[in-house]
Amino acid sequence: MGKIFIYECKRLLCNKFFFGILLILLFYGRQVLNDITIMGVSHTAPFSAWSFGDYLSRMIPVLWIATLLFLTFFTSPAARRVSVLTDAAPMPPRRYEAVRCCAALAASVLTALVCIAEAAVFYGVYFGRCDIGSLTAPALVTALPAIMFALGSGRFLGQINERLVYIWMAAPLAAAALPLPGAMGIWNGSFFTEYPLLTGSTEPAFAVPAEIAAVQCAFLVCGAVMSVCRFGKK
Amino acid sequence: MKAVKYFSYEVKRLMRERPALLVIILSVLSPLAGLTLYRPASAGTMMSVYLANPALAGGAVSGILFGALTLYELDRTKRKRMEALTDAACPPTDTALIRTAALLPIAAAALMLTMLVWLPVSFFKIGSVMDLTNYCLAYLLFMGLALPSAILAASAAYQFTRRADLSFVLFAAFAGSSLTVWADDWQLCWLNPCVWALSDDFSNFRIFRSVAYMRLTWLTGLAGIWTLSWICVRRRGKGIIGSALYSCRRLYRPAAALLLLVCYGIGYAAQPIVDHSDPDPEVMTFAELPYLDGIVCSGRTAQVCPDTSDGTVDGKAVYMFSNSSGREQTAAFGINPGYTVYSAKANGEDAAFSVGGHQEFNEAMLEVAVPAEGDVELVVEYGGFPQESSGFSTHQGYTEISEKYICLQNAALAPRLLNVLPDEGGYPAEIEITLPEHMTVIPFCASEAERISANDGMAVWRYEDSGTGGILYAGDYICQNIEAGGIDIQFYYGRKHREVMETAGASEAVKTVVDYCTEHYGPLSFGSGGSLKLIQSRVYGGGYAGGGASLLDEEDFTSDNLNGSGKGAAPGEVMIHELVHQWWGLANMFDPSDSTDPWSAEGLTVYTAYRIVKELYGADYAEKYYTEQWRKETDDYYLNFYVREPEYLDRLPEDKRAEITGALSHVRQYCEMPLKILKAEKLVGGEEAMDGILSELFSREPDPAYPYLTYQNFLDACGLKEEDLELG
Ligand SMILES: [Zn+2]
Repeated sequence: MGKIFIYECKRLLCNKFFFGILLILLFYGRQVLNDITIMGVSHTAPFSAWSFGDYLSRMIPVLWIATLLFLTFFTSPAARRVSVLTDAAPMPPRRYEAVRCCAALAASVLTALVCIAEAAVFYGVYFGRCDIGSLTAPALVTALPAIMFALGSGRFLGQINERLVYIWMAAPLAAAALPLPGAMGIWNGSFFTEYPLLTGSTEPAFAVPAEIAAVQCAFLVCGAVMSVCRFGKK
Repeated sequence: MKAVKYFSYEVKRLMRERPALLVIILSVLSPLAGLTLYRPASAGTMMSVYLANPALAGGAVSGILFGALTLYELDRTKRKRMEALTDAACPPTDTALIRTAALLPIAAAALMLTMLVWLPVSFFKIGSVMDLTNYCLAYLLFMGLALPSAILAASAAYQFTRRADLSFVLFAAFAGSSLTVWADDWQLCWLNPCVWALSDDFSNFRIFRSVAYMRLTWLTGLAGIWTLSWICVRRRGKGIIGSALYSCRRLYRPAAALLLLVCYGIGYAAQPIVDHSDPDPEVMTFAELPYLDGIVCSGRTAQVCPDTSDGTVDGKAVYMFSNSSGREQTAAFGINPGYTVYSAKANGEDAAFSVGGHQEFNEAMLEVAVPAEGDVELVVEYGGFPQESSGFSTHQGYTEISEKYICLQNAALAPRLLNVLPDEGGYPAEIEITLPEHMTVIPFCASEAERISANDGMAVWRYEDSGTGGILYAGDYICQNIEAGGIDIQFYYGRKHREVMETAGASEAVKTVVDYCTEHYGPLSFGSGGSLKLIQSRVYGGGYAGGGASLLDEEDFTSDNLNGSGKGAAPGEVMIHELVHQWWGLANMFDPSDSTDPWSAEGLTVYTAYRIVKELYGADYAEKYYTEQWRKETDDYYLNFYVREPEYLDRLPEDKRAEITGALSHVRQYCEMPLKILKAEKLVGGEEAMDGILSELFSREPDPAYPYLTYQNFLDACGLKEEDLELG
């Protein structure tokens, strides 16, 4: 099973398509870092957890789309043709699908790590500091639920209809434009820009209020459940 | 017939392919980048922001996408090992031609779809000044023609190399050069034309012509390169040379390639759009020309006929000389380098003339022999397509000549006399201009233009001027006469801008501001003879004033600016702000060299606007919408990370630092400085005392070596020190 996981990961990662996504991600990240993050969010330093969280929340749409694309990589007609061959391998299809889902998750997490590493390099070069510890919390609370939920919901929609996944790619763009309730503030970035101002101090320590944490946890769990469970016909 | 069938089959196949559909969808979305990530047009007009930038970004992004699609499609048969099969059915050159050509309808479809999708968005965003001509031309030229260029370039790269990865690198490098090193070269930026502004209220044909010229030369050149690569399409299992030799047996192929490349070369070298002015601004040989002895000019006339449909000018200029030297002399004129001199006649006889090759400040030198006769009437006939200065090649479009707008400056209007002194009268000039009937002529001087005749939809206007040069504006203008501050003001603005101007209460604002500022600070120095023309100009990136006229750049009067915050609470108040700039901010008032200096035209302008608003709507209103806002923004500014910890700012590389200082300077100029002036007002003993000080500063005798009003001047006049005004 480990072998097949590694094989699927390789198939996904050693691919022009994956590098193309990485390139776009890096380019977009550079734009955000250079144009927005560098100014510091809500009076905080550009390298504060808040500014970093804001950067990540702006990267969510790209990570989201990337995750869904990784999923379609396994479900596209071309991939199905390959699966005719691999299905002959001695492994139950259900197991096999789980392995592929894990591979997509691994690729998405890797993409998110690249995105974080880009910010870390940016902080190192421009400000001579790179405190990975302080970046962990915003990364976990922002990127992980987004990836997990994208994976789960994408898989769910993919089982209904392949095309829905492509439409679903626009979801975070819609979220960024909509006036979401405060508890969903991470999805449109308002949490990172507004919350530090409420604290009244200039460099407030990073903290996540309970309702935001709850919502993010809910997304994480929902995503995890949807990517494990099987819906509909066989 | 077989080819046509194959072509339509290929187009249909592409339309069903996923990559092609994806590229079309992304192309339709690509103008979004122009609203966010990629905004090359820097002007603030609505058309620049919501039309030029989306179209330019659309061109750049979809150009790259279509290049990639071309490579993908061309590589497809090779990937699928169908090559031998297709080669057998059809000669490989035909196949190559059809494959590339089949991508063009896909590009056209993408463009049409983009234009359809973005049309309502543009109408919604741009508002009343939006029009279809500009929309279609902008999308066709800025975006549309990028696609065939990209397809040709990518296809040529593939046909030369026959490798998708290598040609992708080549294509990426070609596109990357256009976006970076060539971005400021209007002829080389094949992907992203060099456009800095589109006008809202007047037309944009000049910049469209320039972009069209660049596009067509590149298309010719790329078609030539493509034809060359087409000759190299491998056939019969031969290598590149063998295939090329085989292809060349049909002579028209290399001949077509050569012809296209030669056309490109000529088109590139002999472009008619921009002149070859000396790039060194220190070179001023025309200004240093010695005046001729024993010859004076007693007057001149000019008859100018701009052709509003093709953007050219024809003119006849007459100069009256009296030559007392008793010998033939050579008079020198500066003339727009784009013009041809058709003839020069002295007292009816042909006179020898020549136009020199050296050009500076958008002028070439025309030399004409003035015969040794007492009174000489010299008639010069000239005309052509005026060229713009090479120094402003990234800011093209100001020599607009159309039914909506004309601006002819100095040597573009008539040959400008360089080396002959005037007699006692100065150089009295009488200018006649023939234009379509609906256009209003506005000479940029104290005199009025008079309409002397009209027929056949054309009208002739005449006005008096003096001096060797002269600037003429004409256009589809509305004129409002306003009496204020003891002078008559003619306020000219574009007809298309009427709605915006009326909503903002423009004429009331003019009256309020002129009354207030004249009373408090004194009359404008360039309002001469009790009259002043305020002319809304096509987007220019600044303005100038003098001799009874002053420009108002349309960029400052867009509905975005009038509804924006920072300069006032309502459109009418922003209008007031922009008009106060006539007192604080023109010509030599503030040092323009450092745009991030907190002491700028804005401080006193914002302060004066606040005082006017206070007078109009009361102290509470002014407090709420002005001083309170300044305080809030300034407090925010002091909280900014780089203000709190400046050592981090110093660590940043030069360009980043400049960018951040620039971004922060807005608050310093628009909010912090007005607060400081307000503080100074309290310290000097109230509003009246401050008005006295400002009035003195306004009418001060400037030092010719450094004519600018400095912060130190202001502090000295107030009797204060810099630290007195620190806010805290
Ligand atoms: Zn201003």
